[in-house]
Amino acid sequence: MSDKPKILIVDDEPDLLLTMRVILESEGFAPSLAADGETALRRIDEDRPDLVLLDIMMPVLDGWFVLAELAGRHERPYVIVCSAKSSPVDMTRAKDLGADEYVTKPFEPEYLVKVIRDTLHRTVRRVAAR
Amino acid sequence: MDAIRADVRDQIHREARIAGLRDPKRATVRDVERRRFQLWVVAVVVLTSLCAVIAIASWSTSLAAAQWINPNVLRVAVVALAVGFGLYALEKEVHLHRLTELLSDERVVNSALSDRFEQLQSLIGATKAVNSVLELEEVLDVILCHTLEMLDGSEGSIMLLEGEDTLRAAAVRGSDLARHARVKLGESVAGKVARSRQPLLLTGEVRDRDFPGHERRERPVRSAMVMPLVNRGELLGVLNVNARSDHDFTDYDLHVLSLFAEPVAAAIANARLYEAERAHVAELLELDRMKTQFVASVSHELRTPLTSIRGAVAASRRTDDLIQRDELLDVVDRQSHRLHQMVEEMLQSAQMDANHNVPLLRSIDLAALVRLVALDSHVAGRPVKVEAPQVCEVRADPESMRRIVGNLIDNAHKYGAAPVRVVLDPDGDRVILSVVDSGPGVPAAERSRIFDRFYRADPTRNKPGLGLGLPIVRGLVDACGGSVWVEDAPGGGAAFRVALKSRVVEEQEVSVVR
Repeated sequence: MSDKPKILIVDDEPDLLLTMRVILESEGFAPSLAADGETALRRIDEDRPDLVLLDIMMPVLDGWFVLAELAGRHERPYVIVCSAKSSPVDMTRAKDLGADEYVTKPFEPEYLVKVIRDTLHRTVRRVAAR
Repeated sequence: MDAIRADVRDQIHREARIAGLRDPKRATVRDVERRRFQLWVVAVVVLTSLCAVIAIASWSTSLAAAQWINPNVLRVAVVALAVGFGLYALEKEVHLHRLTELLSDERVVNSALSDRFEQLQSLIGATKAVNSVLELEEVLDVILCHTLEMLDGSEGSIMLLEGEDTLRAAAVRGSDLARHARVKLGESVAGKVARSRQPLLLTGEVRDRDFPGHERRERPVRSAMVMPLVNRGELLGVLNVNARSDHDFTDYDLHVLSLFAEPVAAAIANARLYEAERAHVAELLELDRMKTQFVASVSHELRTPLTSIRGAVAASRRTDDLIQRDELLDVVDRQSHRLHQMVEEMLQSAQMDANHNVPLLRSIDLAALVRLVALDSHVAGRPVKVEAPQVCEVRADPESMRRIVGNLIDNAHKYGAAPVRVVLDPDGDRVILSVVDSGPGVPAAERSRIFDRFYRADPTRNKPGLGLGLPIVRGLVDACGGSVWVEDAPGGGAAFRVALKSRVVEEQEVSVVR
């Protein structure tokens, strides 16, 4: 088995999934993909990723639902929300639901990679407020 | 009334002077009684004295006194004096009596004046009260309340002009009989007053032949007034007041009501203006809110393709795999095309605002156009089934029609559900284009709003897009002289329908012109 950190990219934009996969592979991560919240939850159970890059506005189940679902779990991956929603209300809501970081779109890929590395090196995990 | 009062005062002054009152300018009934008492006391004393003189004269004819005056002459003189004084006293009494009558008249006039003063005071108070409120319903209620109080009426109503020729009861007090009343101009009492714009005082039973359409009451009204409400030459309605059963209205009451009618009509006009202004402000606030939301939505929608483009550029720098690089270039191409489409949409919307969009209408084959758009849509992953005759000619602009059909198909896939059908139905002198989806349909309350700019039916905003698709459709359909609406599709889903003039109409129009 590879010791590369496993990252699940969740976004309903196929083009963004493709570009993020290429970038994360080049940075030494092992990315996997999900195009909606339902697939994301399934892949979290199956692949047990170290970190999830989570979009908010998605079909089937949105990012809020995924966050709420993960917040109730004892063991869960780090979550970085990547969304075009940039209002403080959304950011606070995401943090309250246990998101470790919030990155607004459009982002510099280098910045996102830095946030991913910093998050993975954390020893203390944010605890969901609920 | 003031002239009568001054005349009575003059007469009192004159009579008081003749009657010999000490202060003729301030004559009172008490003064008159005192003067009368004095007069008759003096009369009694004088007459008694004269009687005594006569008696003494008769008794002493033999006395020495008779030597210096003839007793007969003395008697005649005394009797003449008595008669003269009696006449004097009677004349004064006549003036005193007249003075008493005049004072009584003055009291009546004063009382009437005081009543009218009070009425005018309440008129001023009522005018102030009417102007102190702005809500139409409240204004009407205050008007009725003060009218009834001021004129001692038992019931009243305000009927406002609705449309061109109908009066409808807008406020009622004292009785529910008129609550839902509705009369045509010229009919019944209110309609007749509204048409003639002349106030009316009614006393006694209302005759049907005078007021055709008048509804008889179980207990007829004894006296009533109907006042037209006119503001700046515009008829607003009528004000009806009915008197109590023990009281008749007078011409003076009608005069007071007509004085009141002027500020009342102005207050009603102001209240309507206020309501219209408030609705306008609410509309502007809503538009402002929608615009703010639109700006947020635009920035969000622009960010998504930008993220992919920047990511793809960064990713292509990190890979040596040529196939992967080609894929990433495709990403840049697709997403920049998406950005371009959004900018085009916004430009189109702005152009419609400035009326720049005046398409050239000509005869086109809508069936062929729909098939082409459906093919493009299929390629883009949005399959559509077309049900159309071989040829279906309409009068429209082909570029606008491509956009209309494309936007409606996009909308059906985004907010409805597959399968999506495009149906063309020739219907007399027009053609109905329908885009039918299999989704949940559009709630009735949303149907008129989804074509408004900046309006998004999706409150969670989980659907991508600027929300300009349907407003653009409406703008283009309007420019093509057609109409667009949405309804429930038979069997579920939404059916967006566009009605366009068929080419046949165009030819008919041309032949008529020729």
